[in-house]
Amino acid sequence: MKKIFYTRFNVAIIALIPTCIGINFLGKLLASALRLPLWLDSIGTCISAFLGGPIIGAICGAASNLIYGFTTGDNISLIYALTSMGIGIAVGIMSRLGFMETFLKMLLTACVAGLAAVVISTPLNVIFWGGTTGNVWGDALFAASQAAGMPVFLGSFLDELVVDVPDKLLTLIIVFIIIKGLPKKLTSLYTADDEIKSLD
Amino acid sequence: MKTISLYVDKKTYLTGLHPFTKLFYVIAAITAPLIAGKLSGFFLMIGISLILLISGGLLRKALPLVVFTFTILLTIFLIQGLFYQNNVTPLLSLGQLVFYREGLLYAARIGLNILNMLFSFALFVLSTDPFIFVEELERAGLPKKAGYIIVSVFQIIPQMAAAKNTITDAQRSRGLETEGRLLTRARAFIPLLSPVVTSALINTRERSAALEIRGFEAKTRKTFLSERSFSRSDRLGFFLMLLLLSVAVLWRNFQ
Repeated sequence: MKKIFYTRFNVAIIALIPTCIGINFLGKLLASALRLPLWLDSIGTCISAFLGGPIIGAICGAASNLIYGFTTGDNISLIYALTSMGIGIAVGIMSRLGFMETFLKMLLTACVAGLAAVVISTPLNVIFWGGTTGNVWGDALFAASQAAGMPVFLGSFLDELVVDVPDKLLTLIIVFIIIKGLPKKLTSLYTADDEIKSLD
Repeated sequence: MKTISLYVDKKTYLTGLHPFTKLFYVIAAITAPLIAGKLSGFFLMIGISLILLISGGLLRKALPLVVFTFTILLTIFLIQGLFYQNNVTPLLSLGQLVFYREGLLYAARIGLNILNMLFSFALFVLSTDPFIFVEELERAGLPKKAGYIIVSVFQIIPQMAAAKNTITDAQRSRGLETEGRLLTRARAFIPLLSPVVTSALINTRERSAALEIRGFEAKTRKTFLSERSFSRSDRLGFFLMLLLLSVAVLWRNFQ
């Protein structure tokens, strides 16, 4: 049995977390520079979850929202630290179960991560924004659902669904390409199921 | 050194306050109107934050932080004003569109709450040096590994942003299109991002080796270079905010 929640807090992991937070920030920066209608701000969270496991993924996700919120004054992203934690945990568990090995399995991981994000974000959207998400496409759908008389929760759920699932699909495709190109001497620092062998 | 922090070193009374005092202000400013439960409570609190920002000479820096939420606030007013579930009384109509009183009030509550949060946060972010804040957190018992993570993020992000600019220029000069239709822009994402990410990840190996030989995993307690203590104005600040919170509780109960 693989150790799903096994986490090491060695120097390699501690050095990895700030880098992954930087990657999150960079993804967000590039997505807005290229004017893409997605967030793409959880690439680092997914990489850290793949390398360090669910707990490191959760720490990285929460820390990047908290640090971003506390430095840029964008306190809206503070609340979504919970969502980022959920994404980190989901990707961490899936990759420890072996769902990052092939491209098809990775797509399943992306759907799980997207759903985790939707389930956590929807109540937050309803509480803090009355249901909107701040994304153009999603909010248009929300407006349509409200005009059709659907409950706020369902409308907000759909709003979040059409944005988050494609977002996580693209994010994990990028993560997949990147981690397949990482050198073994780096990934071997983080493997959870290594064992020490003696020569005699 | 370049950082992503918005801190402005103005040497006013606000920058001189202890970080925890300002953090407590943020908490008090956000919770007080929610406790009082009145729309006017939000206005009052936003007013207090604005006065503090002006007195610290930070208003000009704070406004851009607030302006970018205006489109989001506008969508909230549109959607809730038109389609809010409990809409009954029409307030004004523009052609086919009818805005309802309930929806607009609901949107005002959400919008004011967000503005209030933004202003109080701007006060904290603009007047607090993040390095001092992390140092104080560590003194108060935050593990030093967590402190390292936060501080190094401030150094890594400008480095990565610089690397991103280099890569973007390099890829463009090779003929990569970064403007145009959505699909073209989306296709440019991977060649721009993956070189920066891969090199950053490879660097972590060296960084962790460098940390290890400098005794990062030593078990002894850290010592601090500078001493900072709660001054009289910090104690006054704490007292005023406790007063504010109790006024909010009274306001809720006596009306």
